[in-house]
Amino acid sequence: MSETLQQLLDISIFWEYRTVLLRGLAVNFYVFVCAAIVALSLGLGAALLRVSRRRPLRALGTLHVEIFRNAPDYVMVVWVHFVLPLLIGTLLHTRFELNPFVSAIIALGFVYSGYFAETFRAGIEAVPIGQIEAGRSCGMSDRHILWRIVLPQVVRRMLPESINQFISLFKATTIVSLIAVPDLMYQVSMITQQEMRPLPLYTGAALVYFAVILVASYALRAASERWRNKIFA
Amino acid sequence: MGNWQRLVWNQRDALFSGLVVTVEICLIAFACAIVGGLLLCLIRMYVRPLRPVAIVLIEFFRATPILVQLLWVNYAWPALFGWPDTFFTAAWVALALQSSGYLAETFRGGIEAIPRGHREAAYSVGMRPMLVFRRIILPQVALSTAPSIVNQFTVIVKSSTLVSVITVQDLMFESQRIVNIWYEPIEMLTATAAIYIIIVFLVSTAGKALSDMLRRRFGIAAA
Repeated sequence: MSETLQQLLDISIFWEYRTVLLRGLAVNFYVFVCAAIVALSLGLGAALLRVSRRRPLRALGTLHVEIFRNAPDYVMVVWVHFVLPLLIGTLLHTRFELNPFVSAIIALGFVYSGYFAETFRAGIEAVPIGQIEAGRSCGMSDRHILWRIVLPQVVRRMLPESINQFISLFKATTIVSLIAVPDLMYQVSMITQQEMRPLPLYTGAALVYFAVILVASYALRAASERWRNKIFA
Repeated sequence: MGNWQRLVWNQRDALFSGLVVTVEICLIAFACAIVGGLLLCLIRMYVRPLRPVAIVLIEFFRATPILVQLLWVNYAWPALFGWPDTFFTAAWVALALQSSGYLAETFRGGIEAIPRGHREAAYSVGMRPMLVFRRIILPQVALSTAPSIVNQFTVIVKSSTLVSVITVQDLMFESQRIVNIWYEPIEMLTATAAIYIIIVFLVSTAGKALSDMLRRRFGIAAA
């Protein structure tokens, strides 16, 4: 047991590979930011479809939300990486390949757009209809009402809920290591294969993610609380 | 359609055996997560000396990605504790750990939402603390947290796709094994994704119906 403990406490292996591991963590953040942008824009689109006045558009929005909210992230990542290029290739009659980064961003972006769409929709429906009618009676166009009256309120209202979703999205970025995107988890697996010491490496990886996510979630919550108070006051 | 029959329908036995493993893992993990979550929550709320331990455990389980936990349990635990001894055990232990952290917080929210007066009324008619917990608190908590518990089960089903990474032969593993025989992923992976989406959809719809039914039957408004 003491030998095991010694092995566990031996963090020099992390120091030895610090550049590779930090670069891996940076890849995690990069995938996270790109996927979050995709998810937010698609989610807003789907939410607007769901509150649309036309029934076919509403059905389309519901279909989008139900498919992507119920799809497991890993299955979607694998599908986008291995099936989507073949389908596009058949359509274009050429060989088509997706860079693992692009597949990861598309897959995670689409999956989380389902969750964000529901958050956006709840925020949009919470805006009293009278405000929209007031905007119309002042002669504002629909787009103007959306950007000036509805969305600013939606963003504030969905802030606490969306922080949770951003955190799950960041946690989901570890999955991309399975399609060989060189993120932190991928580097840890590679180093494990080289050094044959899974114990300190995987424990260390778990602790790194724990620290990053804990700090990020507390900081984000505090910041959003502050921001909300300032705006509503 | 010929391709679909050859690549998917003719493989139904393998897919079905994978589905059985997925269901087993999800159910075991779900049961353990409920028990573990309740224990963690009670320790955090009522056992003073162990409170920091429970808080650290809950935060650790909640803040680490499931893939990281899975690999950690699978590769680090056998050296640390000499257990789990099979991939199957490691898979459900990891899923249960993650969910027990979330469920502990859900239960805590449910317990804290019960008005103090209920507890005081129960004490003043002479009920013992254990009885108060069993007869007054637990039923109300179960009722109010039912939707979140069902939601957590769908999270377990979605995360269970990752156990194929540590070679547990679940649905995802079988589907990828078949893909690696013929290298024709389109039909197989699409079918797998559709199966998972349908399962999760059915689970969440059924769960929503169940918790609505419970609320109508046993909720305060019904009485």
